[in-house]
Amino acid sequence: MEIREWLTTDETAETYLSRVSTTRLPLLLPPLHRLPLRPGNVVEIVGPSPSGKTHILLQVAINCILPKEWKGVSYGGLEQSVMFIDLDCRFDILRLLQLLKLRIYSVCQLCAEVSNDLGDAGNWTCDEELIHKCLERFLYVRCYDSLEFLATLKTLSYQLQTRKEFASKVYFMMIDSIGAYYWVDRASTSMPLGSNNRKIFSLQSVTEAVVREIKKFLRVQPMLVLATKATVFADKSVPNDIKRPFRKWSSEDAAGQHTMESSPENALHREYMPLAWQSFVTHRISVRPSSQEYRASNCTTDEQVYLGQWLLPSLGFKDKFVIRDVGIIAVP
Amino acid sequence: MGLLKSLEENYPLIDFIFQKFCESRGILTVEDFLIHDLNALISFAWSQPNSLRLKQGIDQLLSIVDNLHRPWLNGVELLKDVQQHKQTLSLAYGGIDPFLHVALREGFVTELVGPSSSGKTQVCLQAAASVAKGYADRVVFIDSGNSFYAPRIANLVNQASFSASEQANNEALQIVMKNILCYPVFDIFSLFDVLHQLELKLKNQMFSVRLLIVDSFSSLIIPLLGGSGPYGHALMISAGNLLKKIAQEYNVRVLVTNHMVAGEGGSAKPALGESWKSIPHARLLLSRDRESNTCTISVIKHPSMAAGNQWKFRICDS
Repeated sequence: MEIREWLTTDETAETYLSRVSTTRLPLLLPPLHRLPLRPGNVVEIVGPSPSGKTHILLQVAINCILPKEWKGVSYGGLEQSVMFIDLDCRFDILRLLQLLKLRIYSVCQLCAEVSNDLGDAGNWTCDEELIHKCLERFLYVRCYDSLEFLATLKTLSYQLQTRKEFASKVYFMMIDSIGAYYWVDRASTSMPLGSNNRKIFSLQSVTEAVVREIKKFLRVQPMLVLATKATVFADKSVPNDIKRPFRKWSSEDAAGQHTMESSPENALHREYMPLAWQSFVTHRISVRPSSQEYRASNCTTDEQVYLGQWLLPSLGFKDKFVIRDVGIIAVP
Repeated sequence: MGLLKSLEENYPLIDFIFQKFCESRGILTVEDFLIHDLNALISFAWSQPNSLRLKQGIDQLLSIVDNLHRPWLNGVELLKDVQQHKQTLSLAYGGIDPFLHVALREGFVTELVGPSSSGKTQVCLQAAASVAKGYADRVVFIDSGNSFYAPRIANLVNQASFSASEQANNEALQIVMKNILCYPVFDIFSLFDVLHQLELKLKNQMFSVRLLIVDSFSSLIIPLLGGSGPYGHALMISAGNLLKKIAQEYNVRVLVTNHMVAGEGGSAKPALGESWKSIPHARLLLSRDRESNTCTISVIKHPSMAAGNQWKFRICDS
């Protein structure tokens, strides 16, 4: 009797689905869609410049600030806030606005087609109130050096209490890009002030402090951290083989194979951030433009195909995607 | 930023006892406080006899630190700032002006990269002339290669003149020439000096600048790079960040040039490479076809122009 009871279904597929989709973030677009990411995770997007890193952040941000539903139209957004910490100082609000409008437009167009009420692109005007509501959920701060970055992080929980926008839930903390002050901090020196127990101001101690502050903040308010990291060293693995043919001479066969393997597609990512940051990162994805592949689009110019590959946890395959203004689209 | 001692005057809570307490934890400056673990400091403060007073001091220090970073803004406030202060140029004559007017935006650092004699300096002079004329406002030209040539500017301004009377043209020319300030700079430290002074003047509103040109930026940086030390790169990134700060905070357009060197396999590559790429907002590539003497300027990266956009023009004598 008890066994029979145990064997009977206790959850239908529908309830199962609704349970799963509430506990998981249903959001992430390609190329971040492969892994279930949760608040508390720290995702690092690493790649050369330009490889669409900031664009990925912007698209995720748009998804987050859009409402679930607005005036009867379903936008499928999260209706949550985003914190964007701009260390590169290259964020352009007009770009975000343009992408947001395009996204809203494409959703509206889709709805119009379904209901056979074809709206014309010419007389389509964007709902200003919707845009205003979305932009209010986008919180932004700009930093010019490590000290400003640290000061921002140190007073984050203090800001959280004083600003009402922060009170509503923030889903993402975005950092663009974490390695921005790498060189400056590596070269920084402290003035000696005759105290023995002072910590030396260095890349190491700054990074440790940054990680500690973010960790502390995440304990109070769990959120998903997305950080971009630009490669600061040019990829030397391929040219070396071309530049130094004598290497090939010594072990001809092995070197020949080596050249095959170290094509730009397989180039390893070279870590430069201190250990404190490396161990803080829970997920790492590498993005880069594909060297040969272009994809014919309906426009006159070909689109650049980008490759995304998870390095941590390591997934063996690469995702291909193209970047369009409307969004990032995975291609086969 | 400085010593805690220097804060005592304005903030009475940071008194001698509080300073002694901080010193025992190795905190002598505000920087030390920033890299120190706050929780550890607070729990140490509680173990002290005058804990309440020390806690107040820490709170005071935190509020000082809060003023060190730029304020949090939401998207609506950002948009308002851009719409009020950051416009693209709205004037156009001929030649490459229309292109430059889209490409150069207030608050942006634009990089012009091209091989030797591809017309980088000419584009810079053209930009200086048309901004100084169109806006009747100042242009700062930082010149590291003695390439600034005033008669050429006069030439370019005259080309674009539309007034019939020569008298009026001459007067206009005088005003334009007065508005272009040229600073000869031959090493990175004098560049920092000029930029810091400029920033100070802009901050005190003694001065307004529409366009800041550094020609050539890369030739100031290249001698510093190489070797294993981080100092060359650090200076490059600091200079880049300072340019970005001036551009962003005081709504200035910044145009810098980057020359090209031979890369792997003989192909030319920009002199400032991988680490530099994260500095400019926009990158433009300049090339010249020697036979037809036409220059081509193409977009490598721009926030509002598609990569690959091209614009052809010709550099004329007069």
